[in-house]
Amino acid sequence: MPDRLERLVNLTATLLDTRRPITLDEITSRIEPGYPDDKIARRRQFERDKETLRELGIPISVETADGFGSEQAYRIHARDYYLPDLGLSDAELAALHVAITAVRLEGDDARDALRKLGGVTGEGAEAAVTELPVTPALTQLFEAVSAHRPVEFRYRGERRSLHPYGVVLRWGHWYVVGHDLVRDAPRAFRVDRIEGDPELGPPASFTPPPGTDPRDFVRDDPLAYGEDQPLDARVLVDAPRAPWVVEQLGAESVVDRRADGSVVVTMPVVNRAAFRTWVLTLLDHAEVLAPPELRADMVEWLDTLAAAQSHA
Amino acid sequence: MSPRPLVGPRLQRVLALVPYVLTHPHVTVSELAARFEVSERELERELELLPMCGLPPYTADRLIDVAVVDGEVTIRLAEYFERPLRLTPAEGLALLAAGRALLAVPGSDPDGPLAHALDKLEGALGARGRLAVDVGGGGDHLERLTAAAADHERVEIDYYSFARDEMTTRRVDPWRVFHAFGAWYLAAWCHAVDDERLFRVDRVRAVRPTGERFDPPLHDGELPELVYSARPEDPRVTVVLGPAAAWVVESVPHEAAEQLPDGGWRVVLAVSEPAWLERLLLALGDDAVVEAPPDLRDLAAGAAARLRSRYGAG
Repeated sequence: MPDRLERLVNLTATLLDTRRPITLDEITSRIEPGYPDDKIARRRQFERDKETLRELGIPISVETADGFGSEQAYRIHARDYYLPDLGLSDAELAALHVAITAVRLEGDDARDALRKLGGVTGEGAEAAVTELPVTPALTQLFEAVSAHRPVEFRYRGERRSLHPYGVVLRWGHWYVVGHDLVRDAPRAFRVDRIEGDPELGPPASFTPPPGTDPRDFVRDDPLAYGEDQPLDARVLVDAPRAPWVVEQLGAESVVDRRADGSVVVTMPVVNRAAFRTWVLTLLDHAEVLAPPELRADMVEWLDTLAAAQSHA
Repeated sequence: MSPRPLVGPRLQRVLALVPYVLTHPHVTVSELAARFEVSERELERELELLPMCGLPPYTADRLIDVAVVDGEVTIRLAEYFERPLRLTPAEGLALLAAGRALLAVPGSDPDGPLAHALDKLEGALGARGRLAVDVGGGGDHLERLTAAAADHERVEIDYYSFARDEMTTRRVDPWRVFHAFGAWYLAAWCHAVDDERLFRVDRVRAVRPTGERFDPPLHDGELPELVYSARPEDPRVTVVLGPAAAWVVESVPHEAAEQLPDGGWRVVLAVSEPAWLERLLLALGDDAVVEAPPDLRDLAAGAAARLRSRYGAG
């Protein structure tokens, strides 16, 4: 194995240093420690080495050798390999170290990244603050976002086609957001609900409109997300739950504070089902006051449920 | 004996280490080992390997020159390794996501070294402003509780228990504040029950000082387990869900789930607090029917009738 590591370092060095693509014969006749003499074994060993380098993200370019027509030749282009100098100060490196210790992710990718940027420095965080779910699909989508590559994937049984503008973590879930080419409209998709692997199109296929903020694509609140005729609801909330609701909706939503500590809040409703569910989470401590149609909705919902007594 | 490290990770380390030494001549062995998180012994092994590497025909002027003098390392004749390998998409994503998440924690410095580092990183990845992490939703008391945990300060909190739908006041020793599944949690010793408890920070209504301190427990820095575990004494409730309520299987912890021919599900839930089940059933309406136990079959109807009484004749 020490031989193999040595050869892999030498292979990388040679492919980086060469100014023209070199063939398998040239590689195997020059590089030490040598490849097997047998032609088939040699090819197999080279393929294994190439695979190991690719797994580390080393970009080996396969080209046509000069003057040899169809014979394959290999090189590593400097522009694909070299990490540009980010000019990180030691304080900035230490801050990234704190981040990857405070925020836990599966795998070693964050640490590997930090080593490339100049290694681990500073103390790191004492304890984890959160952990993030990072999946292979998310990595592919992030690559599509960075390289402006269109993506296609299956979502809830449908084929979707997207110009991805960003990835957003909200409410503990990752979303990929962008312009949906089928719907011709902005859309957000939950990454963990994408079925199978996303398929990436060619780089530099689109330009995100200037000033787009991926966060704007993910709606905050199911209550604000719907197609129903907009209505302004007024809800009476009893004293014990009043502070909780006021914090959720903001003080500007309060239209009446009553002597017993209860409050009347107003809120826009564009999704009647989400509104009903929200009021029901307050159980006995809330009452829909207005408008009459939302009050009637709630009464009807409760009447139907109350009538569904079992006949055991 | 520890297993032999794989060739991939060692190669990765060499390709990161060489550029660092090339740009930081005379770095000490101990600093290098710390930066690249290897023992000095392992580091020496890599440094012994390098002088055998280089370019064909592997003559002295083509081999990497490594000098370790008085514990200081210098490398020459390896210009082709002068820059490290680009970050893979997975590496870029992991580092950026971790950084963005920490920067989004209330109380972080939006103009400090982390913010500057992320800005540079995003520039290099071609991802400026393309990745956002939202860890909001901590409510008014997140920073106060985080500070109390850091200072080992015992506090009294007013807490709304959502599952039981009731308001309580208790003295707690705040151990850890952390974010998981889109919400902030406080892990604490609760003096009311004399046991460890998790609290949702956004349901804390008030925090009052007690003037007392506590000795923090030893912990390993890992996040507390948040996986829901049912207590043996919790009643098991079998609910039949219609196809429209299939999301419950994804979002609600359950003990068993069986898909039905119509696309619906039969699930078994461990229910520690009836108020929690009431909410679920009230929201699902026709799409959920309790099958067992018999005495809970009318839970939703009873709750609906109770809530309905507020609305008078309609």
